[in-house]
Amino acid sequence: MAKEIEVTLNDNKVTGAEGMTILDLARAKGIDIPTLCYVEDLLPTGACRLCVVEVEGSRTLVASCHTPIAPGMVIQTHSPRVIEARRQIVELMLASHPDTCLVCDKANICELRKIAADLDIGLPRFRTRKHYFAIEDVSPYLVRDMSKCVLCRRCIRGCNEIAKKNVLGMAYRGFDSKVVVDCDEAINTEACRDCDVCVSLCPVGALSKPRKVEEKRRGKVQVIKG
Amino acid sequence: MPEKRIVLRNCGVIDPRDMSSYLAHDGFKGLEKALSLTPEQVIEEVKTSGLRGRGGAGFPAGMKWELTRKSPGDEKYLICNADEGEVGTFKDRYILQNDPFSLVEAIAIAGYAIGAKKGFIYLRAEYHYLRPMLANAIDQARAKGFLSHMDIEIRMGAGAYVCGEESALMESIEGKRGEVRYRPPFPPTKGLFGKPTVINNVETLMNIPAIMLNGARWFNQIGTERSKGTKVFSVAGDVPRPGVYEMVLGSKLRELVQDLAGATDIKAIQIGGATGRLIPESMLDTPLAFENLLGAGAITVFNSHRDIIDIVYRTMEFLAEESCGKCVPCRQGTEVMVETLERFMHGEGEERDVKVLQELSSTMMLTSLCGLGQAAPNPVIDSLQYFKDAYESRIKARGEVKV
Repeated sequence: MAKEIEVTLNDNKVTGAEGMTILDLARAKGIDIPTLCYVEDLLPTGACRLCVVEVEGSRTLVASCHTPIAPGMVIQTHSPRVIEARRQIVELMLASHPDTCLVCDKANICELRKIAADLDIGLPRFRTRKHYFAIEDVSPYLVRDMSKCVLCRRCIRGCNEIAKKNVLGMAYRGFDSKVVVDCDEAINTEACRDCDVCVSLCPVGALSKPRKVEEKRRGKVQVIKG
Repeated sequence: MPEKRIVLRNCGVIDPRDMSSYLAHDGFKGLEKALSLTPEQVIEEVKTSGLRGRGGAGFPAGMKWELTRKSPGDEKYLICNADEGEVGTFKDRYILQNDPFSLVEAIAIAGYAIGAKKGFIYLRAEYHYLRPMLANAIDQARAKGFLSHMDIEIRMGAGAYVCGEESALMESIEGKRGEVRYRPPFPPTKGLFGKPTVINNVETLMNIPAIMLNGARWFNQIGTERSKGTKVFSVAGDVPRPGVYEMVLGSKLRELVQDLAGATDIKAIQIGGATGRLIPESMLDTPLAFENLLGAGAITVFNSHRDIIDIVYRTMEFLAEESCGKCVPCRQGTEVMVETLERFMHGEGEERDVKVLQELSSTMMLTSLCGLGQAAPNPVIDSLQYFKDAYESRIKARGEVKV
């Protein structure tokens, strides 16, 4: 049996098994930490930084999805500093995200939108250029709209780890980073046949199935508070 | 405090192509002494010396070695970080050009101490012309039998700034995209190819042969209480005598910039390159030490003709270009900063932009995945603190001129 470790989580003394991450522990104790790039069955990557928490003695906030608990850790999951950081991260993502929610297929089940609503994000503070890429609808199996991509890399990890097809990869640097197929070509690989792993993992409207005639939008209409 | 040569002791003295001249100047005596001790004793010696990493972060070198030595596993690696990418640094190039043998000796000592059978030198792509000389030094050392306990391989970078960051560097050596990894696990427990790894800067390693030869006590007496030894600085910018200077740690910035490099007209000094600090002339008396100001040793002087917003904008543009694009705060944050500063450049900056820059800076520092994103707001923060008038005058000018 794994060793039990005692930590302080939001002022309560709790114990968790050795090797557990802060996020695992928080979720087990019923504390909700928002995540975007984290998926339970995939290896963590630490890209979105939404799950940051405050750990006493640490110079920076630490991402809970990949930081294992250590004895005597004092963790704050919802301190004002953490909430402000999370809000800014979502705002940064929204700054370059196209404002096409009205016509987006995923609008009602969009995770980014849900997180933005949960964190009470108002009018954008940051101004940046938006990404504009042509919609890739050559493949009969899936449609890609990279303008909407938030680079959480769930699709890449899903493709490598679950589907084991290694179709997707990263290219370019910084703001121009992009999930690409081969040498940045429109996706049209036969490997994608009968495989919806990446489509089902995509939190936003970047990946979807080609829409059939008279198909309805999924999910209930989302009401944004705040 | 005067100039003192420990790291640069052989530069200009020996022939970098010929090992016999290095042997005549106490070459490989440090290795000889190290091999007569146990690896634990060598690590103890380095720990006692108080040597701290010269790449910028200042982590105690001995402790890093000890952690790696104690990590379980037979296979361990040593990496020498020669990916000198920081803006305005050229000290490692000078060292490699003039004294490659000391580096080989240092790697041999470090490899013996931590139990690594393989060492890598990660050489910056732009320094490709140094590769033959370095390879020659390794070959000569191997021929003389100094490398019987380990092998050294040179790996070339591909031109990414972020690959100077240790985890991105390891990804690069593994043949992957140069992107940072999350930590923990740290390299001493799980590094290159998942094995315990020590990554040291060229300059850190260059101190090792001298420490072995002269003893930790000798090294420990140089410098300040928390910063031992010397530091090599690359001075550039608006100075009459730019170049590489080695000074005892704790020396005043004024001694370096004014007395040695001869600067007369100083408006701002950038210390530690693009992610370093930007300070005004009034702080010239700050001691150069890990506890105050240091970084990787790049000192760029700007005179009164330079525009602060222009300096910050160009620095930010560089960082946005070099961000690996993995985490949100760095990828998106640097872009927001560039575009905000661009507005100031074009005379379109507003009061609220200053607020946005301040708020964004703290988030980037707190949440970014690696040192690049965490330190990227430094020039913005410093310019807002010390050169606020540069921003204010532009905002004011905008109000006056109506188009």
